[in-house]
Amino acid sequence: MKSGSRLERLLWAGHFVVTAELGPPKGPDVAAVERKMSLLAGACDAVNVTDNQTAIVRLSSAATCALLHQHGIEPVMQMTCRDRNRLAMQSDIFGAVALGVRNLLCLSGDHQKFGNHPSAKNVYDLDSIQMIQMVKRLRDEGLTAGGDPVEGAVPLFIGGAANPFGDPFEMRVIRLAKKVAAGADFIQTQCVFDLPRFKEWMRRVVDLGLHEKVAILAGVMPLKSAGAGRYINANVPGITVPEAIIERLSRAGRGAKAREEGMRLCAETIQELRTIAGVRGVHIMAVEWEEAIRPIAEMAGLLPRPEPPEVAP
Amino acid sequence: MIVAERKPMVEILASIQGVSRLLVVGCETCVAVCLAGGAKEVAVLSAALRLALRERTSAVEILERSVERQCEEEFNAPLAEDIAKVEAVLSMACGVGVQTLAEQFPDAIIYPALNTQFMGRPEAPGIWAERCLGCGDCVLGRFGGICPITRCSKSLLNGPCGGSSNGRCEVDPEHLECAWQLIYDRLARLGQLERLYAIEPPKDWRSAHDGGPRRTTREDLRL
Amino acid sequence: MSMAQRLLVLACSRSAGEALAALEATGQTLPPDVTWVNLPCGGSVDVLHILRALEAGAEKVWVLACYEGACESLEGNRWAEKRVQWVQALLQEIGLGPERVVFRAISPTMAADLKAWLEEE
Repeated sequence: MKSGSRLERLLWAGHFVVTAELGPPKGPDVAAVERKMSLLAGACDAVNVTDNQTAIVRLSSAATCALLHQHGIEPVMQMTCRDRNRLAMQSDIFGAVALGVRNLLCLSGDHQKFGNHPSAKNVYDLDSIQMIQMVKRLRDEGLTAGGDPVEGAVPLFIGGAANPFGDPFEMRVIRLAKKVAAGADFIQTQCVFDLPRFKEWMRRVVDLGLHEKVAILAGVMPLKSAGAGRYINANVPGITVPEAIIERLSRAGRGAKAREEGMRLCAETIQELRTIAGVRGVHIMAVEWEEAIRPIAEMAGLLPRPEPPEVAP
Repeated sequence: MIVAERKPMVEILASIQGVSRLLVVGCETCVAVCLAGGAKEVAVLSAALRLALRERTSAVEILERSVERQCEEEFNAPLAEDIAKVEAVLSMACGVGVQTLAEQFPDAIIYPALNTQFMGRPEAPGIWAERCLGCGDCVLGRFGGICPITRCSKSLLNGPCGGSSNGRCEVDPEHLECAWQLIYDRLARLGQLERLYAIEPPKDWRSAHDGGPRRTTREDLRL
Repeated sequence: MSMAQRLLVLACSRSAGEALAALEATGQTLPPDVTWVNLPCGGSVDVLHILRALEAGAEKVWVLACYEGACESLEGNRWAEKRVQWVQALLQEIGLGPERVVFRAISPTMAADLKAWLEEE
């Protein structure tokens, strides 16, 4: 065991894992975090807590993770390279571990241009692969990036992101291989709508044997409406929602009916992903729609969530 | 070259408010080549200032000069006489030139007329683009001659982020190419794709500005 | 350049110059407070010519060049228009009316139009 986290133990025991996402509020609104926690408790195995996602200032990921941990929900702390240099990263990682965090997802981070502080200076002292390498060293060698010994242990299950849909396509598998070589234990992918392209990417991943070295959790996203799908196609680089999905949402009608269909489509995607060799779980990103997680998990036959083995060798 | 552009006229006019004898000094090196601060631009700015200030009661006298390289004191020395005659100097050099004048003429009031932007090159007539951040430890040999530190919006050293789409960078798809698409294509062309598998270690930023203002010494050029 | 000009016309000799010649052939003359400068091509207009004219006291500056596609030097007319737009933006920045500089496309056969424009001004 590298971290002993619930996520790690479940994967070790061979379970198909489910992670979800919680976006912290735009301020220290603990009640808002608690509301979202109640929607997620028991519906998934661990919850990613975003780090100023889309470069919008929010309650810190570490603090939100600590709240989740106190409430018995396992957090996956997300950390971006955008806002911190290697000093701040390590310091915040120590802090998070001290407060009970056991999973860390290392990300480049959305450019500040897209957020609410576009005039800010970014950092990018390290990139996400260098961050993974640094965290692995903290954990396995007990040394900081600067080479000093770490006081105390850093038991973290280390994650990275992968976007099978970005360009250049050939670079996407190379980049995954680099993340694995750097020390990633698990990977959460960009939302899968385009299953054929995802399968092609997974085929290459399996050909290289990467799926045996890293647990790949495929990202999924329920859409609330046909409009949401069109918005993604127009505004989010690297994700394409197929016309067939937009068409089905559009046929379902409006409001609750469209949302219901969106959840069903998501559950169907999950079921199909389960059949792909090398996929070890799903990461459900229901942005500002945490209510959808439990029904989707239910429809996909993923409830109740299993208990992990208490202590693994 | 160092690329710059003229400041907004409102800002320039505000800086020289109340000045009745002004010297406008251009530089014939980088900023002349990028058509921002050479003799021609000095003439145009001076004409614009005279037009703008015409309504003022007191006449404004504007001297126009340009020197070969404003960042070297030798070229600025002949300006001493003119600088002594004016109340303020408007420099159309890059920030280096402006500071050279300020260091060289400690009693003169020097204002910048340009915003110094980047080290870059003309991509097409009328378009200049950034190519070098001056990090002090050139990595171009490992990336097919394309700088990921300068040309990737996030200075990523180990491959593209998720925002690369059809060869464009999501930060400004209309104007920015994804540096990593360029690097991939070029390494593919050179038969060096294996370079992409190597994990690039964290950069030592001491050679960049993060180590403090930099200087270079060549002992063979000193006595 | 005299300080009492009302209007300076920077004219492409191939189009505007020909139109003026046709107008003059009918016995018309330019008003005394209009200065006409024939240039080999609209493309030889420089922003500094325009600014210097305004500085010297011209109330307005016209730049007359060929219609798009009709420039003997291919794109001299488009450059002339770009430069006029550049000066207009600069005038706006310093609080002067951009309408003080005008670009007009003209052909050699437009003597009547030229006459009308001058009368309007």
